[in-house]
Amino acid sequence: MAVTLYGTFAADRLALLVLALGLTGAALLTYALATVNAGSIVSALVGVAASWSLSAWTRGTGAPGGTVLAAVGIFVAAELAYWSLEQASVPDEGELVARRAAGLALRGFGALFLVACVLAALGLRPGGGLILETVGVAAAVGLLAIVLVLARAVYEAER
Amino acid sequence: MSDVVRYATPKLGGYVVLTALGLLASLIFARPELAAVSAPFAVVLAIGLAVSRRPDVRVYVDVDRDRLLEDEEVVLEIELDARDSAPRLELLVEVPSGLELVSGANPVALRLGFGEERRLELRFRCTHWGAPRLGDLHLRAGDAAGLLVWEETLERGSVLRVYPRPEELRQLVGPRETQLFTGNRVSRAKGEGLEFADLRQFVPGDRIRRINWRASARRGELWVNEFHAERNADVILFLDSFVDARRSDRGTLDEAVRAAATLTERYLLEKDRVGLVNFGGVLNWLRPGTGLVQRYRIVEALLNTEITLSYAWKEIDVLPRGTLPPKALVLALTPLLDDRAIGALLDLRARGFDLVIVEVSPLPYAETPPGELGELAFRLWKLRRDGRRLQYERAGAPVVEWREGEPLTSVLEGVNASRRHARARA
Repeated sequence: MAVTLYGTFAADRLALLVLALGLTGAALLTYALATVNAGSIVSALVGVAASWSLSAWTRGTGAPGGTVLAAVGIFVAAELAYWSLEQASVPDEGELVARRAAGLALRGFGALFLVACVLAALGLRPGGGLILETVGVAAAVGLLAIVLVLARAVYEAER
Repeated sequence: MSDVVRYATPKLGGYVVLTALGLLASLIFARPELAAVSAPFAVVLAIGLAVSRRPDVRVYVDVDRDRLLEDEEVVLEIELDARDSAPRLELLVEVPSGLELVSGANPVALRLGFGEERRLELRFRCTHWGAPRLGDLHLRAGDAAGLLVWEETLERGSVLRVYPRPEELRQLVGPRETQLFTGNRVSRAKGEGLEFADLRQFVPGDRIRRINWRASARRGELWVNEFHAERNADVILFLDSFVDARRSDRGTLDEAVRAAATLTERYLLEKDRVGLVNFGGVLNWLRPGTGLVQRYRIVEALLNTEITLSYAWKEIDVLPRGTLPPKALVLALTPLLDDRAIGALLDLRARGFDLVIVEVSPLPYAETPPGELGELAFRLWKLRRDGRRLQYERAGAPVVEWREGEPLTSVLEGVNASRRHARARA
């Protein structure tokens, strides 16, 4: 919600569209948590990320301020959402909750550091260049391959 | 033990999709910050999958006892020995019907460090008689990042024997005829015993201690006391398990089994021989016997009693010879709902068996159907039941109705009263 509001206020134009996308994402996330529906979490996070991306696009080229916080916010929201789903089926005992909370905080700080580093690295080569784009395409294709492999594994496990 | 199944969690799928979409969008829209947004997800995936491995946890399960009475508690001890760390281990104990959790968490999610041992105690209360299997576990272990899960079912259960809690009984239904073996019942026949029966003239061979000196002094010749012999009886518990009337976790069969267990215990204490005929979709029988072994045999047979749907017509002839000894008291526990059991009981009476019917009333489990016609049908059904009772009573077999919540002892006293009246009328 914070990411959505930040994106809305920071947008140079199309603020209502940014807000609508963000609110849809937030509503989907609420629905996913209320109905313990893991599938809707991805849609919700994509909605929030799209809202923030649209806001960034309205502000022209280059990473806008607050990108690091938005990225960490989306990441922490995703972690908390999946953790909540686990709690719906089997609640953690006290010690485990404390450990997981500490782990989540650590991952949040790690994400903060990572995104800042990535942005700094990208900032050195704003145009990207052929090598960076090739790496990006390879990563995207690789991820799609992972999706296919996992989907197949899940299908076989269910069968 | 079943195989370990590994599968990806929704989180893994979600993170892959988010990473892929972020990178693709970054390429398509030429916005490098989108790649930065998806970077934490990609890193969690990469590191999480790289370090992910199946947690090695040994599980030992034990119950503190395997024979208990209804309403007693049993403790299930689960010992977990982690040979490798388990960041999140979910443990679910299958709770069979007839048991309810009193203390302890089920399911539970915990963390086990490397070499850590944990002992969990779950306390269950036995709410219903039967032979439930307790101790089968479902284990689900997740990796540190929550991306992969290993699931396993451990069949470590033990079969518990939950015996029906015996009811307090003040008196039992006495048989009309006794058998030849020594017991606690006063026989009509004369012989060795304690209960005085009559006086008769002394004959050579009589014991001196039997001489009634007062009667002998009055009559001027020797008279001796005669006593009633103390014999045992054969009691056959006839359990009608064709159908039962049931509401949630209570039914006529439950009541009948409880009563049968109580009667078995009490008749065996009286040194009677007790047998069992489980007359239903599946026919079971136990020839009459005495002692503790017979008691356990009967109770074990009762624990396995269940309603098995069958349309096959059965008559009492299907029972093997010797199951129903002559002069036995047949104590039937029946809801009087199935014509096969009703016919078999009439047949037993026609063959001269001393028959007593305890009707486990299905009325508390029945509801009047809605509407005028429903009410009429319900009244007709009750009238038909009354007619059946009358049919048995005309045949010389008393029928007493046992309603839910009523103590069994008062029902048996009702039987004794009706038998006394019947003798008085005769």
